[in-house]
Amino acid sequence: MEHVLSINNITKNYGRITAVSNMSLDVSEGSVFGILGPNGSGKTTTLGIILDVINPTDGTFNWFRNFTRKENRQKIGSTLETPAFYPYLTGVQNLKIIADIKRINYDNIDKVLKDVGLYERKDYKYKTYSLGMKQRLAVASALLCDPKVMVLDEPTNGLDPQGIAEIREVIKDISKKGKTVILASHLLDEVQKVCTDFAVLNFGRLIYSGKVDEVSQEQQIVEVSSQNLTELEKAINKFSLKKSYDNEKDKIIVTLDRNMSVTDLNKYLVESGIIVTHLVVRKRSLEQKFLDILNESE
Amino acid sequence: MKRIIRIELLKVQSYSTFWILTSLYFLILLSIFFSGKFFLDFLARKGESLGDIIDPSGIPIYDFPDVWHNITYVAGFLKFILAIYVIISITNEINYGTIRQNIMNGLSRWDFLLSKLVLVCFLSIISTLFIIAAGFILGFIYSGNREITDIITYMEFIPAYLLQITAYLIFALFIGLLIKRTGLSMGLLFLYTLIVEPIITFRIKTDWIKGLFPLKAINNLIRFPFKKYALREVQDYIAWDDTLIVSVYIIIFISLMYLILKKRDL
Repeated sequence: MEHVLSINNITKNYGRITAVSNMSLDVSEGSVFGILGPNGSGKTTTLGIILDVINPTDGTFNWFRNFTRKENRQKIGSTLETPAFYPYLTGVQNLKIIADIKRINYDNIDKVLKDVGLYERKDYKYKTYSLGMKQRLAVASALLCDPKVMVLDEPTNGLDPQGIAEIREVIKDISKKGKTVILASHLLDEVQKVCTDFAVLNFGRLIYSGKVDEVSQEQQIVEVSSQNLTELEKAINKFSLKKSYDNEKDKIIVTLDRNMSVTDLNKYLVESGIIVTHLVVRKRSLEQKFLDILNESE
Repeated sequence: MKRIIRIELLKVQSYSTFWILTSLYFLILLSIFFSGKFFLDFLARKGESLGDIIDPSGIPIYDFPDVWHNITYVAGFLKFILAIYVIISITNEINYGTIRQNIMNGLSRWDFLLSKLVLVCFLSIISTLFIIAAGFILGFIYSGNREITDIITYMEFIPAYLLQITAYLIFALFIGLLIKRTGLSMGLLFLYTLIVEPIITFRIKTDWIKGLFPLKAINNLIRFPFKKYALREVQDYIAWDDTLIVSVYIIIFISLMYLILKKRDL
């Protein structure tokens, strides 16, 4: 698939501190790309560089395979860190300024305000908004130009659970339309729910990048239970195709070897004469994967 | 360009600080212009009681063509009020993070600088138009001569005033962009205007070197007019070298601002 963004060997130094180190990354069209990393891992710096507000010390990037930067930015909807608007202007007035910057008319303003649930407060001054409402306005501003690409930095920060769910829906809707979303987050759950691809940063380095689906396919984790737990444990102990197992209350959690499926385990147990009462494939969470990746990198 | 102007207008139209400062500016300007006559009458009454020989109430400060020189000179003292707004405007953009958001949304750094220069020009032009209107009104009320040649003779002070105020506001914009903090920028602007440059130039004996300092150069455009009423020689024209120095400063400040914006992480 076409790449909408290519980052080539980008480095950013702040004095002696290296915030981003020799990073290369491609984002393909239509993907929802999650950028994960602990605090201070270089997520925001990376986004700042590709949005042209931070000058990289070294390296290049390009959007849509061309180098017309300001025109490209007009086609990208973006938020970076905390929402930034004119506090003495209303939500609508703030969006009008953005519409003028992006060379589009004002027709879309009411629609995007409805999309993020801010329509009723559109004529209130920005300074009267709560943090959640400010965040919603930021997402609305990113939606305003019906963007080809959205770059969102922690878009659900400061939102209530309902707000988080709403913004998630907005992101899913956007990606259904074939648009690309680049999302920085430290909420792994969020990335797992909406992203197709993800990358992990630590200390300014890209330490992993891959598909979200593949994480759950890599190693299967299976919960099994039986009337006779001790028999079951003995059998599993002898099972050669497992990586490890663990007792958890009335269940045994088995991590299978790579490429082994739950069918293999079930077949083995039946052959050993054990009747299971419970057999569930646990979806491997991104959180575990993320922690593994971080541990391996250290 | 129309787009850049519209963006800047949207930013000021609902900003109460903008309306308060500009109204204050025009109100003070207006009251100073129209109180000149009353002030001279007041001096005359004082003088009478002191048995003075000259009658200050007879000084023709509003006569064409001198009125142009006089009011542009006096108005020059109030440009600091507009400079305060210019500093607030640029430091707000930095502190609110809206400068970063503007660039992210698709302004180039040059576009952004242009939008602030639009603000400077807007303020300068409004102020100049106000001076022109005030000059005509005061002249037609008080002036003895209304010959067309007299009316237009000193009108070269109008473009000089426009250049003067534009240059000063660009200087303020530069300080605001450089310093980033609102209060500190204002403090530095006044410190430099009132103390630093006067002290440096005070020690320099040669006039043309003094005239190379930015604020001295800006103020030199329109020189002190009132000595002529004591029958002393005054420079009642706009000197080409002063204009040139100020224009060079404008170019230098704009280039420096562009460089700052280009190099700085927003």
